[in-house]
Amino acid sequence: MDFYGFPRPDGQYGARNFVAIIPSTGCVNAVAQQIEKMVAGTKAFTHHQGCLHPPQDTERVTRTLINLGKNPNVAAVLVVGLGCEMVDMDEVVEGIKESKKPVEAVQVHKLGGSLEAIYEGSKLAAKMVYEASKLRREKAGLDKLMFCTKCGSSDTTSGLSSNLVVGEVCRLMTNAGGTFVQGEVCDIMGGEYALKELCVNPEDGDKIVEYVKDLYNRGLAVGADVRGSQMTAGNVAGGLTTLIEKAMGANAKGQKVPIQGTIDYGNRPNCWGGRHIVSTPGHGFENLTGGAAAGSQLILFTTGRGAPNGHPCIPAVKICGNSKTNKNLAMHIDVDVASVIEETETVAKAGERLFEYAVNVASGTLTKAEVLRYDSAMEILINGPVM
Amino acid sequence: MEKRYAKQIMDQDNVATCVADVKKGQVVYIKQGGTEKEYTAANDIDFGHKIAVKDIAAGDYVLKYGEPIGKATKDIKTGEWVHTHNVADHYEVH
Repeated sequence: MDFYGFPRPDGQYGARNFVAIIPSTGCVNAVAQQIEKMVAGTKAFTHHQGCLHPPQDTERVTRTLINLGKNPNVAAVLVVGLGCEMVDMDEVVEGIKESKKPVEAVQVHKLGGSLEAIYEGSKLAAKMVYEASKLRREKAGLDKLMFCTKCGSSDTTSGLSSNLVVGEVCRLMTNAGGTFVQGEVCDIMGGEYALKELCVNPEDGDKIVEYVKDLYNRGLAVGADVRGSQMTAGNVAGGLTTLIEKAMGANAKGQKVPIQGTIDYGNRPNCWGGRHIVSTPGHGFENLTGGAAAGSQLILFTTGRGAPNGHPCIPAVKICGNSKTNKNLAMHIDVDVASVIEETETVAKAGERLFEYAVNVASGTLTKAEVLRYDSAMEILINGPVM
Repeated sequence: MEKRYAKQIMDQDNVATCVADVKKGQVVYIKQGGTEKEYTAANDIDFGHKIAVKDIAAGDYVLKYGEPIGKATKDIKTGEWVHTHNVADHYEVH
């Protein structure tokens, strides 16, 4: 099985080859979206952050934007700024330039209006798209792959099939030298001590426990017991008995693969290879952005009842073990693993099948979310307060 | 009549999860280590709910995914429904 990716100057390989249009603030989303319409081969990374943050959030948003620009799927970047925002557009540009890929920038105030920025930005983007189109996929080792993962709209089948199958892919790809990134702190809650046991470095185990504690405390600060919200009436009616059971079902996406490191939101892993835990929420828009900022080429996204969303930076492979969903929402599901529930296929075999499918997606096969253009919504996680 | 199955994730688990609605008295087939074993449901057990594949004494851990997921609050016999009425969550944020 071979991975064919677009070579980048920093040694990474992209599963896709587009020009990213990155607004430094949500105030210029309209400009980014218009340029995306004008110029084929571009993807606008719209978000609603960039200003009126406490300093920690300004720093995190800046770092996340830089790492999104550095993602291997991105061939070149056009940064769009307003002129008065807290996030420093030049800092974003210089940060992405470390990857040695082409970076241009337009600023609305400097150019004298949004229409000017759309015009100048489209000219720059068009040139970069044309140059990027000359790149060709090259054979790259499986160790050049990073997958992130998420479970969304989960049901009973998630913990019995799709998550187990993703866990098998975690084992296979990390054995091949690749990197596997897993987050969703709200789902880890209940299973953080089990993950701590798997950490190669004890400090990472403490970090994971802290991620969960932090979420729990932030919930308490607004009068919410987030443990209670994690076990819904629907979960209990559906058969989940304890929070730990639910968390084990989520943790299964990494099996018992040892954990090499932890990643704070918006960062890249501190070492290549192996399984890492990233501090992302369960909420999809911020979660997928965290996976993309870490440097993933794609996300393995399990679903039970059918979650259609993708992400502009990374293709989302949808995996489902619920035969009703696989039939009714076939237009949104990429890989059917109901065979694992029906015991007509082992988790090991389904894992091999999913791994091969994912490598093909990384090499060019489109996901349903990409084909349906169901992949534009994204957000960057902030701590707040919003001012 | 269609065979009713339950899925046991790991060999060391003491529960399996039903993947069809099961009525009291029906036979449930569970694959363990490659062979199919038969159990008799002692209660009605819905799709997604758990059936004990071993006797679990009160105070012992319920094992799923090879990990303790809760503690039995009553003695549970093989074939019985395992859920919030006889299992307590032992999770605490330290």
